[in-house]
Amino acid sequence: MKRSVFVVFSVLLVLALSLGASAQGVVTMMGVWGGQELEAFEEVMDAFTAKTGIKVQFEGTRDLPTLLQTRIAAGNPPDVAALPGPGAMKEYVEQGALVDLNGVFDAKILNEDINDAWIELGTYKDGLYALMFAADIKSLVWYRPAEFAARGYEIPTTWAEMEALMDKMVANGDTPWAIGLESGAASGWVATDWIEDIMLRTAGPDVYDQWVDHEIPWTDPRVQEAFEIFGKIARNSDYVYGGPVTVLSTNFGDSVAELLTDPPRAMMHRQASFVTSFILDANPDVVIGEDVAFFGFPMIKPEHGNPMLGAGDMIGQFNDTPEAAAFMNFLASAEAQEIWANRLGKLGTNNKINPAVYPDDLTRDMARLLNEADVFRFDGSDSMPAAVGAGAFWEGTLMYVGGDDLTDVLEFIENVAVDSY
Amino acid sequence: MNRQKLKKKLPQIVVNVVVILAIVLWFLPTLGLLITSFRPASDVAYSGWWTALSSPLKFTQYTIENYQSVLSSGGMLTAFRNSFIISIGGTVIPVFLAALSAFGLSKLNFKGRGFFYALIVMMLVVPSQMTFIPVLRLYNKLSLSGTFGGLWLVHTGYGLPFSIFMLHTFFQSLPDELFEAAHIDGASIWTTFLRLAIPLSVPALASLVIFQFLAVWNDLLVALIYLGGHQSVAPLTMRLSSLVGSHGQDWHLLTAAAFVSMAVPLIVFLSLQKYFVRGLMGGAVKG
Repeated sequence: MKRSVFVVFSVLLVLALSLGASAQGVVTMMGVWGGQELEAFEEVMDAFTAKTGIKVQFEGTRDLPTLLQTRIAAGNPPDVAALPGPGAMKEYVEQGALVDLNGVFDAKILNEDINDAWIELGTYKDGLYALMFAADIKSLVWYRPAEFAARGYEIPTTWAEMEALMDKMVANGDTPWAIGLESGAASGWVATDWIEDIMLRTAGPDVYDQWVDHEIPWTDPRVQEAFEIFGKIARNSDYVYGGPVTVLSTNFGDSVAELLTDPPRAMMHRQASFVTSFILDANPDVVIGEDVAFFGFPMIKPEHGNPMLGAGDMIGQFNDTPEAAAFMNFLASAEAQEIWANRLGKLGTNNKINPAVYPDDLTRDMARLLNEADVFRFDGSDSMPAAVGAGAFWEGTLMYVGGDDLTDVLEFIENVAVDSY
Repeated sequence: MNRQKLKKKLPQIVVNVVVILAIVLWFLPTLGLLITSFRPASDVAYSGWWTALSSPLKFTQYTIENYQSVLSSGGMLTAFRNSFIISIGGTVIPVFLAALSAFGLSKLNFKGRGFFYALIVMMLVVPSQMTFIPVLRLYNKLSLSGTFGGLWLVHTGYGLPFSIFMLHTFFQSLPDELFEAAHIDGASIWTTFLRLAIPLSVPALASLVIFQFLAVWNDLLVALIYLGGHQSVAPLTMRLSSLVGSHGQDWHLLTAAAFVSMAVPLIVFLSLQKYFVRGLMGGAVKG
């Protein structure tokens, strides 16, 4: 009796063990995508399998950072994985977990297909460790073309033109900006995006990186300058609808509605591409791209060019197998990115993508803006430690808009930063 | 007279009120989940589930669309199968081993059994998260990661300390005289265990099976780590969590998914509850 029970168990165990044995000609991939995104990515994987005969085993989980770190530490990372962001990429490089993609990609992809801005973003310590598979952009100013035309306003391309335009609007009795910072427990992130956009344009990408990594203090004059440019708008009742009180108390999703009243209460609104869904929620009749459109946040100092702030899907390779290399090359190709861009309205990074695949004109315009940008940077507050990037920085902007002295605000953030890095 | 009656009944009333309040409090979130799962996505986004209560009989506001899209999404059947494979193995093995060891620790006399029991109970305190990386490393060496058998072993390991603790307490409460009598009648240890200890402990075993089955069925993290999230091995929890996008889009589907996933543990609980109650009553009457 006793023996037979153990025999049954051992047979079961052996059976179970043999079930999950790994096969050849397979790439394992880990990502965060689910729902609609997963369906789109499945199409990408199917296209790869049809082309090469290599199967992709996709593991999707929203706990990717934890799971990936555990698997790296235990020594069985997936062949290919979506990376949480540039900060995580650097950590994995330090751990020696990522494969240098310079030895993986075809020369054509590196030299012709992918713009330098993306190569630079995935580069760390002389190696290329991440492929930007797709991007979302944030440096957008939304406006109503019809209202601009009726009043004779022109789209500014430099900050000097922007300031002239703002003064012209005030002289005409219009309010230039609508800003809303309220977002529940995350209140203030809208302002951090503003300041990051300004910082990129006044101090340049290198100083921006130093700032994100806390290699320069928050009290640095260049950080101060970025805050002041934002404060000149957000703390001034002439330049922003309702003045600082409205800025602080309006929800970020509601503030764009000030553009859509008749006559408009404000003329411009700076927000990422996703704001269109808020516009349509409040005014279903608005035609995006006609009634409301956008232009790129203008450059401030010409020497720093026209950078773009945003976020994106970064993909890294952890195991140096030929199958994984083939998959990485496929993900970098226009063919794969066209599927992703077409299904989800994301912007591809391969410049050979046929613009016709983008779902609408608006997305096509964004793709053009992105291609024209000299530099791309991730949302800095997302890359800072949470106590700063999702805490003191948010809070500091609220204090500043609320009228606190800038030196006090920056010292407050600096104190938190010193403890958190 | 009336006053005395009231005085007698008062504690009863207080107890009832407290119990009803507790039931309502516990039930409220589940009710909200249930109602949400039948509402269309656009309604879910704009108003709370309680707005449906203002006119609960207006059936046009309900839809079974969420259930349809959850059940028809690809790989649901595989996920159910995987969940069953994982949960049955992950329940039977630890409960069987726990019964053996708890019996040995409470009814057999050997040196250091107090020490071993204390050691096992101490393991209850070790957070399972601490063990992920070292155990996974070991698994990679033995190529156990990504296999159902490996996951059974993990669930056995994580489940054993509590199972042994629980059954040990139960076996301790069985009178030693019973086992001495069996011994005198010539029963071997194995017979005593199978014919005496197991039948007597059906209520304890049933509740342990319920606990362990629920824990394994609802587990996402352990399966993600030791099994990986690939569709051919992913349990239901993993499949359901991937219905939601990376920014939490489509979360209304999760409400329906939660009820789909709850169905099986509910059936297990209801069918085992019978044994649970019968076992208790049987013991009471026999004295």
